[in-house]
Amino acid sequence: MKTLHEPDQALHVEDLTVSYGTAPALWDIDLDIPPGVMCAIVGPNGAGKSTLIKSILGLVRPVAGHVRFLGHEIGAMRGRIGYVPQRHSVDWDFPTTARDVVEMGLYRSLGWFRRPGRAARARALAALRDVGMQDYADRQISQLSGGQQQRIFLARALVQDAQILILDEPLAGVDASSEAVIIALLQRLRDEGRTVIVVHHDLTTVQSYFDWLVMLNVRIIAQGPVAQVYTPDNLRAAYGRHLAMIAVPGPETGAHTRPDPAPTPDEGVA
Amino acid sequence: MSFLADLLGSQIVRTVLFGAALLGAISGMLGAFAVLRRQSLLGDALAHAALPGVCLGFLIAGTRDMGSIMAGAFFTGALAALTMMLITRTTRLKTDAALGIVLSVFFAAGVVLLTYLQAQGGAASAGLASFLFGQAAAILVSDLWIMGAVGLGALALILAFWKEFKLVSFDADFARAQGFPVMMLEGGLTVMVALAIVVGLQLVGVVLMVALLIAPAAAARQWTNRLGVMVALSALIGALSGVGGALISATMRGLATGPVVVLIATSAVVISLLLAPARGLIWQGLAARRARARIGEDRILAAMQGLARAHDDARYPSEQGMLATALGDAPAPGRFAALERRGLIRAVAHPPETTPHWELTSSGHKAAETRRPDAERTP
Ligand SMILES: Nc1ncnc2c1ncn2[C@@H]1O[C@H](COP(=O)(O)OP(=O)(O)O)[C@@H](O)[C@H]1O
Ligand SMILES: [Mg+2]
Repeated sequence: MKTLHEPDQALHVEDLTVSYGTAPALWDIDLDIPPGVMCAIVGPNGAGKSTLIKSILGLVRPVAGHVRFLGHEIGAMRGRIGYVPQRHSVDWDFPTTARDVVEMGLYRSLGWFRRPGRAARARALAALRDVGMQDYADRQISQLSGGQQQRIFLARALVQDAQILILDEPLAGVDASSEAVIIALLQRLRDEGRTVIVVHHDLTTVQSYFDWLVMLNVRIIAQGPVAQVYTPDNLRAAYGRHLAMIAVPGPETGAHTRPDPAPTPDEGVA
Repeated sequence: MSFLADLLGSQIVRTVLFGAALLGAISGMLGAFAVLRRQSLLGDALAHAALPGVCLGFLIAGTRDMGSIMAGAFFTGALAALTMMLITRTTRLKTDAALGIVLSVFFAAGVVLLTYLQAQGGAASAGLASFLFGQAAAILVSDLWIMGAVGLGALALILAFWKEFKLVSFDADFARAQGFPVMMLEGGLTVMVALAIVVGLQLVGVVLMVALLIAPAAAARQWTNRLGVMVALSALIGALSGVGGALISATMRGLATGPVVVLIATSAVVISLLLAPARGLIWQGLAARRARARIGEDRILAAMQGLARAHDDARYPSEQGMLATALGDAPAPGRFAALERRGLIRAVAHPPETTPHWELTSSGHKAAETRRPDAERTP
């Protein structure tokens, strides 16, 4: 048995550098996220947020650096990490139903050659109930709204009963009621002691939704508890000239000003 | 039917028929995955890239030996796929550009080799040109065994790794994050497509082969929302196209089997695009009309209820022209008739006026409540 490296951190990243061509997409990332927090990763468009998530999950090969989850390498943690990719990364016209997609979260634990059976179906339905989508189990997935599709994706990660959840922009293009369902659920998971890591694009809700914050713009700008990290200086460092358009941290109460109309610095056309 | 019996009595016709059906089923089944993974064009590139391999196989064997020709076709097809992967990984070219380059370079090389070999003469090399558009009559019973083996092998693999292939086709990133060997699974699907192409060359040729991969799958997708049904249906459409093409070209002189098979498969696509329930164009047009009619009716009911409330008279007779004004545009007269037929409104006389008047029935009031145009509609 190998000795564990940094077992006290849910996620430990050291010296991570990723490059797609010449310019690095991520540069010298050192990152620690303690267990049991709900952490937002924010940064402008193209800051490398998705790249960070993909490289810690081993989907993109880094040039340098290493990653540990609770002290383990990713290979040893596959079953214990739930991943919710960006919704637009798949073709929602794929011929399948909501329940079918959720069952995909169980394929790994089923093992080779075994098809999902009654037990898998029951677990999938339970996960669908958790996200309030039980009535849509047999719907073709293209007939669901963006928020509903996102909830299906979340259910697929939930069904694994994972210790660590990693979500890429789960609230992008999502209606208000879906957003409320998703956030309430994530906060409940956090309260159960799980670690929830979310790429988030809406600065105006960072303070109310999250308790841990990572600001990223190719490099790590700041990381830590939201109250310490969400400062004008850090925001300026992360967003630069866009800062005029975005939320400025409010007073100690946690209230914050919301610009009107609310432009989000990192949202392209939804 | 004795005509059909006569046809099937011929060994050649039977061989072609079985071959076309088998090929249609194989490429239909594998094409379903290729289409869902948006790899249709990869199939086209692989097919075109098989041509130089066909010629090389002939050169090496010295005769028109199917074994070496298929091996050559598979080899250059695989080489093309690798080249494409290298181009997209190491340059800034996108997949479509890489596909186009590889397809045309390999095909050009194939044509050069082909014309060179034909210029060298020899009876056998003359037949090589048939690999461009296929020559069904050249199929031997031994080729059927190869096709059967490829088909059964592909079927067994797809059944064995069904859920993995489904997952990889839908969301490869998630599959990778779950630790599935995505490279192997995707590679397996691609290799099977390449095999299907290789066994199909003789029948349909390199130019049209891609249609046999795409068309049955595109048609099948229209009729179902289940992957399993889609794959089975795609195989069935492919097989039926094969049978149909073989029979037609056997009965009519001068019609080449391969292109006829392709034409039948593409007509299945056209028919499916038009007629399939839910996804077909005609059905969608009807659904849009129904939705428009319903919204029009809802607005009429709401306007009538508004008038009735304003006059504090549940049976207030609304004048048709007034309703038209209230709605901003004249609803088709048929809408009123339709509402009357369903017992939601009733025609009333309101002398001395002679224009048509309508009043809401009690069920009309109820409908107006529940179907208010601004009320939330379930998706
Ligand atoms: N597959 C890829 N190939 C080449 N460049 C990429 C690829 N994916 C992302 N990039 C580039 O890397 C940078 C970071 O992208 P990404 O991680 O998607 O940012 P974010 O999610 O923060 O918007 C961007 O400049 C983007 O253009
Ligand atoms: Mg992103």
